[in-house]
Amino acid sequence: MKPSLDVRNVSLAYGKSTVLRDISFSVREGEFFIIIGPNGSGKSSLLKVIAGIARPGTGDVELFGRPLRGRSRKALARAIAVVPQTQPMDVPFCVAEVVLMGRSPYMGLLGMESPEDLRVAENAMSFTGVSELARRKFDRLSTGERQRVLIARAICQQPRIMVLDEPTASLDLAHQVHIMELMERLRSHDGTTIIMVSHDLNLAAMYADRLLLMRSGKIISAGSPGEVLNYETLERAYGCVLLVDGNPVKNVPRITLVPAHALPPKSGG
Amino acid sequence: MAYPFSLIVVFFLGLSAMIPWRCEAGMLPGPGGEALRGPDDPTRIVSLAPSITEILFSLGAGHRLAGATDLCDFPSEATLLPKVGRFPGPDLERIVSLRPDLCIALKNVNPADLLDRLGTFGIPVYVVEPKDLSTTMETILELGRLLDAEASAEKLVGGMSSRVERVKSRVAKTGSRPGVFLQIGVTPIVSVGSHTFIDELITVSGGRNLAQGPVPYPRFSREQVLALQPEVIIITSMTRGLVFEHVRDEWREWESLPAVKNQRIFIVDSDLIDRPTARLAEGLEMLAGLIHPELF
Amino acid sequence: MNHRVVKRTLNVSVLLCLVLASSAVLGLFTGSTGQNPWEVLALITGRGDPDSVTASIIWRIRLPRVLLASMIGATLSLGGLVFQTLLRNPIAEPYVLGISGGSAVGAILGILLGLSRFPGVASFAFAGSMLTLLLVVSISSGQSSVRKDSLILAGVMVNAFCSSIIMFMVSLTRDSRLHNILFWLMGDLSITDQKQVLILFGVLLPCFVVLFLFANSMNLLLMGEDMAAGMGVDVRLISLALLGTTSLMVSATVCHSGLLGFVGLVIPHLLRLLFGADHRVLIPACVFGGAAYLVLCDLVARTLPAHGEMPVGVVTAMIGAPLFIFLLAKSRR
Repeated sequence: MKPSLDVRNVSLAYGKSTVLRDISFSVREGEFFIIIGPNGSGKSSLLKVIAGIARPGTGDVELFGRPLRGRSRKALARAIAVVPQTQPMDVPFCVAEVVLMGRSPYMGLLGMESPEDLRVAENAMSFTGVSELARRKFDRLSTGERQRVLIARAICQQPRIMVLDEPTASLDLAHQVHIMELMERLRSHDGTTIIMVSHDLNLAAMYADRLLLMRSGKIISAGSPGEVLNYETLERAYGCVLLVDGNPVKNVPRITLVPAHALPPKSGG
Repeated sequence: MAYPFSLIVVFFLGLSAMIPWRCEAGMLPGPGGEALRGPDDPTRIVSLAPSITEILFSLGAGHRLAGATDLCDFPSEATLLPKVGRFPGPDLERIVSLRPDLCIALKNVNPADLLDRLGTFGIPVYVVEPKDLSTTMETILELGRLLDAEASAEKLVGGMSSRVERVKSRVAKTGSRPGVFLQIGVTPIVSVGSHTFIDELITVSGGRNLAQGPVPYPRFSREQVLALQPEVIIITSMTRGLVFEHVRDEWREWESLPAVKNQRIFIVDSDLIDRPTARLAEGLEMLAGLIHPELF
Repeated sequence: MNHRVVKRTLNVSVLLCLVLASSAVLGLFTGSTGQNPWEVLALITGRGDPDSVTASIIWRIRLPRVLLASMIGATLSLGGLVFQTLLRNPIAEPYVLGISGGSAVGAILGILLGLSRFPGVASFAFAGSMLTLLLVVSISSGQSSVRKDSLILAGVMVNAFCSSIIMFMVSLTRDSRLHNILFWLMGDLSITDQKQVLILFGVLLPCFVVLFLFANSMNLLLMGEDMAAGMGVDVRLISLALLGTTSLMVSATVCHSGLLGFVGLVIPHLLRLLFGADHRVLIPACVFGGAAYLVLCDLVARTLPAHGEMPVGVVTAMIGAPLFIFLLAKSRR
């Protein structure tokens, strides 16, 4: 199967600080690919490079065999959709208007919607369960509701790759699972490749086909959850004590944080 | 950044070179540049300046006026005329609605744009440019020729001329030229420089304008006036209805001034010394009387 | 729900167009001289004596003025809308990037040199505003993208600096040109003719069309630059195009009319409150609504005072400021 995304030797620097160092990996089509790692490891910057928003200093990115460089913004927007980490503030539109924005890559010069655009938007809204909120003001919704609206908007772009930056951060537990389920359905239903950054290791373990573990702009480990999530690798990446055992729900590792007072006392004292 | 900046400077210079300079005093050309002729016997004249209104009345041509500005207040019949707005910028619509057959304006005082637009309505505009005593008399003669009142004009100018000569000859008899500070603005203190009516009047009436200089309306701090040590202080204003007693009282506190010591602080009516009309002769005599009371 | 936005845009446009047309007609009926309304009506409907004084006044004084007021009102409102979106700042207005300061300095220079309003003073004003715009953009551009906050800061500074230059020039002027200058600074629609109006229309119409084509992109920009980019908007290109087009059209109007405040600040907010934030609806709304607003303000400026007229800028400020406070209070809820 052709890789949907191929990243080769990508480096990125903002001014004097290097954010990504010689990153190389590829993602298969229809894969659920999750990037994990501590803060400052360069995860968000990597997503920006993948989405074509930031240009890497060196290296190449290819989408379905074609390089990212030189493709028009609109063409890219039809292939990749991004759900960013922070939700936009002071948005004066209602939910339906926000979702319809996702159809922009397909709309003509004047930007007037066609019946087809409206149909796609309605489907996207029912997929993420926000149809009843269509007339409500975006700013008045809860964080979880806004997240689902933004995802519906991204779905309207009918992308082959969906890129999400920590989509479950600051969401309550029910919403967290719901979002992950949505992504899984998108993947199995339409064959969309999901590339996500997550801070929740257990959630990542349960949903990902493959993981990419980063630290300080470099790749520490890549592979299936079982391969990547082991004690030595995790301690090296995160710099803290973790307990790794088996997840009772699925055959993947389970990570548990170990507070200092729970550690056994040092022998000899 | 220097290169584009210098381009801009050149552009400005080139632009100003292309501006068509205004014509001399007289009938303004029409919108296409063609020479316009005024009517032979204008009966609906609109005057765009108080001085022009005054001159027309003094020539006995007041009956030919159809409109004037709101500042046109002399003689009193002028206040009865239909008003066309403010001086120096009157209202185009009001002028046009009076259907004038001639407009008379002051060059460089009434806005040039307005005068041009009057031309596009087919209204001939005659501009005059009185700058001092002699050109004021020329203007009166000019308007007399224009309005078939040459005899009145010559009589008026003759009278003015002899009054001016009388003042000149008497002043010539004495060598004293008292320093005069003529104040036209209260806050801040503003006087008159060279090339103004008032400056000429002061000089002809045998005084020395202490504010002489290239700036037409220079500002002074009180300190600077004290340093000039004026022997005569004359207070006037172009704004109407202000009380000047308190200004005089303020000067009186500075007892070191010669003008205060000799009690030579006077308040005068600005219209007599600032409007280019026949009354300038009167203004001249009045000033002479204040500056050289011993001669007049 | 078919063609929802198209219908809405058309409805709003037609409504505001009617408001504009009525204001314009009212503007033809009012003026500093009391023309017989029946005569005016006859002239408008095609009958009546075309050689009469009334005809002269209506067609050659009042009509160009009404047309100028509508074009300037449209431009300022549209300019305010675009800058508010582009700079993500609700108090942005069309002069914010130094246009007012630069054009005022240029215009005053022109007036002091004794040039006529058009083309002399107008060209100087235009050149002045383009210079300050260049200055503002070069001060604030550190990186390749157009940085919003530094643009606003640079604009405010340049405007303040120009203000001091203007004060200085005004303090030196003591003759009749002072009157001219002050009227320009307060907004003056009185000197205009058909030729000017046509030239201005020729410059403004393409700008309006271009901005309308960017309407959907402006909607996307409100979601944030990264999000807009992710949906296919070339943020840098569009920002520059919006900046350039808007500055051009605002400068073109300022050099004809002087500085008219509050129109570009208040009208976009008012229309947003009435019709929503979709730029595809707001852009035509600002064009027609802004035009109607200024025509009405000019009407008040011409008829309220007993002698002569008030500067239009005074009327727009007197109406605009309380209106803005009211809108602010409403949005807090």
